[in-house]
Amino acid sequence: MIEYNQSRDGSPEEGDHFSFKVLGVGGSGANVLDRLALEGSDDAQLVVLNTDIRKLSSSVSSQKIQLGSALLKGMGTGGDPDLGKQAALEAADEIREAIRGNDMVFVCVGLGGGTGSGAAPEICRIAKEEGVFLVAYGTLPFEFEGARRMEQARDALSLIEGYANAVVTFDNDRMGELIVPKDGVTQAFAAADKIISQSIRATMNLVAKPGIIRIGMDDLLTALNSEDSRCLFGYGQAKGENRALEAVEQTLKCPLLDSGKLLSIAQNVLIQVSGSDSMTLLEVQTVMKALSSHLRPSAHVLFGTGTDTRLGSSLAVTVISSLDAETLSATSSKPAQTQDAQAQAGQPKKQFGVQPVAAAAVPVAAVPASASTSAPAEPAVAAPAAPAAQGQLPAPVASEPADSKVVSIADGLQKGQSAGVVAPMVAQQPQEVVPTPVVQPEVAQAPVQLEPQALEPAVAASPEPAPVAEEPQPTPAPVVEDPFQQQVPPAAAAAPTDQGADPIMPFNPIASAMQGAPSVDNSQMFAGQQEQPPAIQPTPLQPPAETEQPLQPMIPTPEEPAALADEAESQTISLSRIVPGQTTQRILNRPQRPDEAPVAEQQPMEEAQEEVLKLEPIESKGRFARNDNNVVAGEDLDVPTFLRKKG
Amino acid sequence: MARSDIFAGLEIGTSKVCLVVGETRGDGSLRVLGVGQHPSSGVRKGEVVDTDAVQACIHDALERAEERSDVEINAVFLSVTGAHIEGLNNRGAIRLDGGSINEADLDEVKKKCRDVKIPADNGFVHSIIQHYYVDSRERMINPLGRSGQKLEADYHIIHGIKSRIQNSIKCVRGVPLEIEDIVFAPVASAQMALDQEAKNRGALLLDIGGGTTDYICFVDGAVVASGSVGVGGDHITNDIALVLKVPLARAEKLKVTYGSAWLEGIGPDEKVPIAGDGSETVERILICQIINARLTELLTLINNSLAFDSGLGQRPSGVYLTGGSSLLTGLDSLVTDIFGIPVCKNQTPTVTGPSALFENPQYATPVGLIRYAQLLSSHRSRGGTFAKIGQKFEKIFGANR
Repeated sequence: MIEYNQSRDGSPEEGDHFSFKVLGVGGSGANVLDRLALEGSDDAQLVVLNTDIRKLSSSVSSQKIQLGSALLKGMGTGGDPDLGKQAALEAADEIREAIRGNDMVFVCVGLGGGTGSGAAPEICRIAKEEGVFLVAYGTLPFEFEGARRMEQARDALSLIEGYANAVVTFDNDRMGELIVPKDGVTQAFAAADKIISQSIRATMNLVAKPGIIRIGMDDLLTALNSEDSRCLFGYGQAKGENRALEAVEQTLKCPLLDSGKLLSIAQNVLIQVSGSDSMTLLEVQTVMKALSSHLRPSAHVLFGTGTDTRLGSSLAVTVISSLDAETLSATSSKPAQTQDAQAQAGQPKKQFGVQPVAAAAVPVAAVPASASTSAPAEPAVAAPAAPAAQGQLPAPVASEPADSKVVSIADGLQKGQSAGVVAPMVAQQPQEVVPTPVVQPEVAQAPVQLEPQALEPAVAASPEPAPVAEEPQPTPAPVVEDPFQQQVPPAAAAAPTDQGADPIMPFNPIASAMQGAPSVDNSQMFAGQQEQPPAIQPTPLQPPAETEQPLQPMIPTPEEPAALADEAESQTISLSRIVPGQTTQRILNRPQRPDEAPVAEQQPMEEAQEEVLKLEPIESKGRFARNDNNVVAGEDLDVPTFLRKKG
Repeated sequence: MARSDIFAGLEIGTSKVCLVVGETRGDGSLRVLGVGQHPSSGVRKGEVVDTDAVQACIHDALERAEERSDVEINAVFLSVTGAHIEGLNNRGAIRLDGGSINEADLDEVKKKCRDVKIPADNGFVHSIIQHYYVDSRERMINPLGRSGQKLEADYHIIHGIKSRIQNSIKCVRGVPLEIEDIVFAPVASAQMALDQEAKNRGALLLDIGGGTTDYICFVDGAVVASGSVGVGGDHITNDIALVLKVPLARAEKLKVTYGSAWLEGIGPDEKVPIAGDGSETVERILICQIINARLTELLTLINNSLAFDSGLGQRPSGVYLTGGSSLLTGLDSLVTDIFGIPVCKNQTPTVTGPSALFENPQYATPVGLIRYAQLLSSHRSRGGTFAKIGQKFEKIFGANR
């Protein structure tokens, strides 16, 4: 048996020292940090950021940043992401200060609430601006927390994915189900926190601790890279003679691995074995052998060993991988999870989700319809070339079906960037206009439409019946063309101004583009980031320019927005606070507009009701005629049995 | 121990409002002091729909009862019914810390049993203990003092829509009368109609009233199923009125005079006069067919739900009929035919006083309320001292709420 006698001195990596910071945002983030602190993580400084002063003060983290001390006066956000965002902006300098000078920053956040969903994206943005390597740990809320929170969480997640180098998503539902299905909420959350903290620690050790077979950030990225991924994470630590096998056993017990079942379908699996000097090759072999029986032969194994003197006589095994939500749901035994993932998969979130748009376009004028069909076709066929990427971006926005998205899109408007994404697209790619006239009956779309059509209040104002009712009057063609003409100048004008103003851009152009489109799938996050920047550069430029449009949708002069765009970002956002209100109001108001369509819809409904009413009195109930229904097993007990059975 | 208590039981039935005042003695005997009743209005299918009308009826019944019994009535036990009331069985289990089982454990296991999902609008009416199990083995009635690792209990839980029960309560309070407790009607009737032996042997009690048919099923001394169907004698009358196109009053008379639930023995050409003057006639068999169809459906419905509820083929050994509609001729044969169980005659209840009344099954519920009150009060007053006896009582009718 050959001993791997790895002394610290001998370690080639000794020299490079990473500095870490772990940011916990919101209540849930703070919990994770507390957990990390409890378990001892002296490598990284822990910074907790929260709006709620009470929660902040109860945290054990070394550094605390109160968000929105002026805005919220130490209270929480009450679940309002807008407030969370404002609060983060208020403390932007402090955050920047905290992040500055670190190589790597972990942001862990429980998404769904106000502080988490609102502040985390801002913090990530700042981190990105500071040029750190950013890994975000986002926890999606439990299903029982309601659709609204889930929606907020997803919106925030898609924003974060635009900034972070890696995003690890945890599904609370999954953890709750697998770990402690019978236990209370507290335990479920605690268990979730524990896993996240373990995962953060393991990731830190992974990249920071010297190892003879070193695992780097690149490996980590590979392991985590898949579309809409859910992190698979396993960590085991054991002592004693049989520590290798025991550690593997523990690792596989981790709920996110589902006793190793999920590993068998993972593409890229990162495995790190770490121990102190006493770790032997045999042990490493044992671990790898035991784990590989759970992997499929074709899996790409990224293997590494690490030395961590603090482990003492223990051996630790870390397994990190990712699966996309769809695959996960297919294999997962948990129905809720499945649903969840299906909802995701079903939503036209992904690139080719554009189809619904095309489908919806059909009943509208032929021109836009055909145009729209060509739009999705392009990205589908083309490689991730620039135009394709651009084509993809706005499309998902347009096709977002969920009503609740109103909020999210309004959010986007707030930043003035979702508009930015759509509008330039409109300008550059005639196809993109299609989303506008297409107009499904979803209200969600309304804000998107607003942008290109902002100049045409009538069209912009009607959500459901708009396309049908109004399109025919002005021929589809002018509608389509109008937005172009007016939109082009602002986009162009804005471009130069913003290039300097937007610090995100040089960094991660996609990111900002994505941020603009909250619903955009982040699939290209890892891969696309490197490939696409130059091509896309023009895209992110516009965002601030568009901010103006929701604000002053009636102003056709493009110069104004451009000029305004120059101004500070914070202004953009503070202005935007008003915007969603206006937007929503307009959306809400729209159905009240006199349109033929709703009237036409009502009529058949009334008729249907009449029909039902007509049917009612046919069967005689005598003295029971006015009673509540007394229907058991499909039989109306109030009608004489004699009559019913005879018939 | 010659303690005596006076209780009043109020039944707001679909056909009549009945208030019974009774005196219970420490030896368990029951003496009826007075009865007040009034044909009810404003009640449909066992539920109050017109508060004012019902209050007027209650007032009238109250006056008569007070007059006859020479007792001032302030509080009553109220029976409730309605198709919204359902029964379900649930088992709860708790871990024991090793010591012998005490009352706190029983309370806890009861709490566990009640931790069952019922519709959001519903509230508990009764939780009736069926059996206890210690370490999943022994089935026992009284586990106090035993030791084991695990205590399980089967409870029969009766629940109904809160707001509807509240309606009845509000109505009675507005009279004004205080309510000591609410009791699901068949639970009360069972106190009168069934004795312990019948419960042990297994008994299905059918209370076919005016607007509802309530049932409760005992197997092995424990309640295994209960419920209420919104069909009663009024439906039969209504059916006859609708089919024969006669007024309700006439239909009622036809039902009572000529009606039969069982078709055998009725001549095909037997004619009965529809109108008072005998000018129009109808075949008697037609009336009986209408009744038969209705009751067959009703009983089958109950039979189905029982088979589902009781499971394991546990059939009671006898069917006991109460309620006004149970006076219908031929019902015994029909019941036996559908349930496959013989119909038992009610035992003469241990009631003294103007007892002629109580042989009439129409009064099973209000008098049962008195009996219920008697058991409840003895359970309450003896409480901890005679916990064993208390448990036994609880087994019989369950503590409330």
